[in-house]
Amino acid sequence: MNLTGRARPVADPAGRLVARSGLPTGASPRWEPPVTPLLDVRGVDKSFGPVQVLHEAALSVHPGEVTALVGDNGAGKSTLIKCLGGILPMDAGDVLFEGRPVRVSGPRDAAELGIEIVHQDFALCDNLSVAENMFLGRERRRGLVLDEADMERRAAQALAALSIRTVGSVRRPVGSLAGGQRQSVAIARAMLWGSRVVVLDEPTASLGLAHAQQVLEAARKLADRGLAVVLISHNMNDVFSVADRITALFLGRTVAQVRASEVTHTQVVELITSGRVTPTL
Amino acid sequence: MKGGPSQEEIRRHNLGTLLRHIHLRGPASRAVLAEGMGLNRSTILALVADLTAAGLVREELPRDTGRRAGRPSLVVRPESTQVYALAFDVGVDRLAAARVGLGGVVLDRREAARPRGAFDPDEVVGALVGFARRLVRKAGRDSVCVGVGAAFPGTVRQSDGMVRFGPNIGVRDLELAPVLARRLGLGLPVAVGNDANLGALAEHERGVGVGCANLIYLHGDVGIGGGLIVGGRLLGGAEGYAGEIGHMVVNPGGRRCDCGSRGCLDAEVGEPTLLEYAGLPADAQAGRDAVRAVVDAADLGDAAARGALHRVGDWLGHGVANLVNIFNPEMIVFGGTLRDIYLGSAAQVRSRLAVQTLAASRERVKLRTADLGDDATLFGAAELAFAEVLADPLEVLTRLRVPGEAPLPAPT
Repeated sequence: MNLTGRARPVADPAGRLVARSGLPTGASPRWEPPVTPLLDVRGVDKSFGPVQVLHEAALSVHPGEVTALVGDNGAGKSTLIKCLGGILPMDAGDVLFEGRPVRVSGPRDAAELGIEIVHQDFALCDNLSVAENMFLGRERRRGLVLDEADMERRAAQALAALSIRTVGSVRRPVGSLAGGQRQSVAIARAMLWGSRVVVLDEPTASLGLAHAQQVLEAARKLADRGLAVVLISHNMNDVFSVADRITALFLGRTVAQVRASEVTHTQVVELITSGRVTPTL
Repeated sequence: MKGGPSQEEIRRHNLGTLLRHIHLRGPASRAVLAEGMGLNRSTILALVADLTAAGLVREELPRDTGRRAGRPSLVVRPESTQVYALAFDVGVDRLAAARVGLGGVVLDRREAARPRGAFDPDEVVGALVGFARRLVRKAGRDSVCVGVGAAFPGTVRQSDGMVRFGPNIGVRDLELAPVLARRLGLGLPVAVGNDANLGALAEHERGVGVGCANLIYLHGDVGIGGGLIVGGRLLGGAEGYAGEIGHMVVNPGGRRCDCGSRGCLDAEVGEPTLLEYAGLPADAQAGRDAVRAVVDAADLGDAAARGALHRVGDWLGHGVANLVNIFNPEMIVFGGTLRDIYLGSAAQVRSRLAVQTLAASRERVKLRTADLGDDATLFGAAELAFAEVLADPLEVLTRLRVPGEAPLPAPT
């Protein structure tokens, strides 16, 4: 019972913060907006041969929010994301988009739903310019020719909207950019294409401080513009600086889906390392 | 006895509202303005005509027409290169000045590093006047300066702009506004405000907090400053000293603060504390770059730097938790060096928040980093300078456009 008016994360007898189904079971008195998640995946199983990597994994993401997906190496984060992007088929599991069941059986399905995954190698073409990369496959035309001026203007606007100032000219070839700048271009591209869910896989890993900070702020701005952002990260400061929700995976199971404002650093570390949390703070 | 507002007062109010809309939200068509202000189109037409005649706005075809059918409607634009304000920012480590056009465009700027040490008012005012002279000389002949604003790291009395106390820069009872106004010789008063208060204003009007009526801005320089936007307005208190968040005691009996107290947020989180915890010698290089270097080292795994950020972040969390409980803000913005400190210690800050705030107060609060970067305070000073012309556009312009007045500051 909670008589102090302070919502403490409540653990079930097994020490788990919430149920695996993705719905918090903690009997906290906090008010939750009655919104359906934009994307809700439940009960995802996935095996590679005899090794079961995911056991009924779940993930809910909401528009306007950054959901951090945390877990140790091998917890199943990347596998879950690949299932979500249609890169790997799920053995079992339901995907709900805006509350409706949908099938994601290939990357094309995911793209049609507006799910964009920015991988660590971010699939950009080194020989093309920043603007050309951002419109790759969706070039704008004026009559029979490409409308380069329009594409360059829109690319610059998208970068400005995310306060990405370090890229310089949108005519620069992507091959000449540093890691953080490339990451920024990949994020801005997601915004330009009208994506609804953007998944960033370890976006700050291997970046210098200035670029890492800029990428985090861009992720935050993307969510503040109404997109649902999933941030996979090992860095607790990255997670706490921008996340609204935290989903923790432990040995292929979702062990917690909580609001970032309801948990402490220590609790999240405990969830990652042991899959459970001591109820007292 | 006074009845309702007169025709003249209503017109002045509407002119100010329209100009403020264009100034803050950028060019807009008359139709958009009519809808935004709830006035009919003929009134908007008359107001725009008045402002155009005064040289404050102009109407022209939109630059980005797209490919829609029909004649595009004209947009009302601020006369940014013709109507400008001078903004000054006195920081502990730098002096900055800018010529900011109506609409918030930085037309020109000057900046210089300031060595730490005793504060010499003559030297600082002299440097600012030097900047101003060069900025004004570059302005077009027929352009007009409508106001001067300055941000200062200290408590500032609202009634006369007297700087009462600036512990980080070593100032007590400094008559900055009249001295600066006299030396500038522009025939304009100088409005002075606390730097973090002005940063709050700038982030609220042009930065990450646009549309957010309850916002707290925390500014890290050498010390910690703050500004509170409550119900859409900057909270000044009885005399304008409100928002000294840096002197909120978070650790009773803690580290000694320059204000004379102990355990202030400023003393527990400020730059000297972070650098000391990180094991840097007292005579090492200080300033923004030194703070960033600690955050960078922590990011690369340096144990001392990580420990320093942990401790500082924890105290910052105490302070932020108190603010959330007292003010129930919609947003907390970390600016100046606190942007780096927050991004490097968010786990500590938010852990404190999760434990020490009431659930109802914290569930909607957004923690954000400043959008305007190091220029938030300078932009705030510009907004202060524009306040008068936005309140009564025609009167101010008529007064300033009197022919024969010297546009250049008199040589000193």
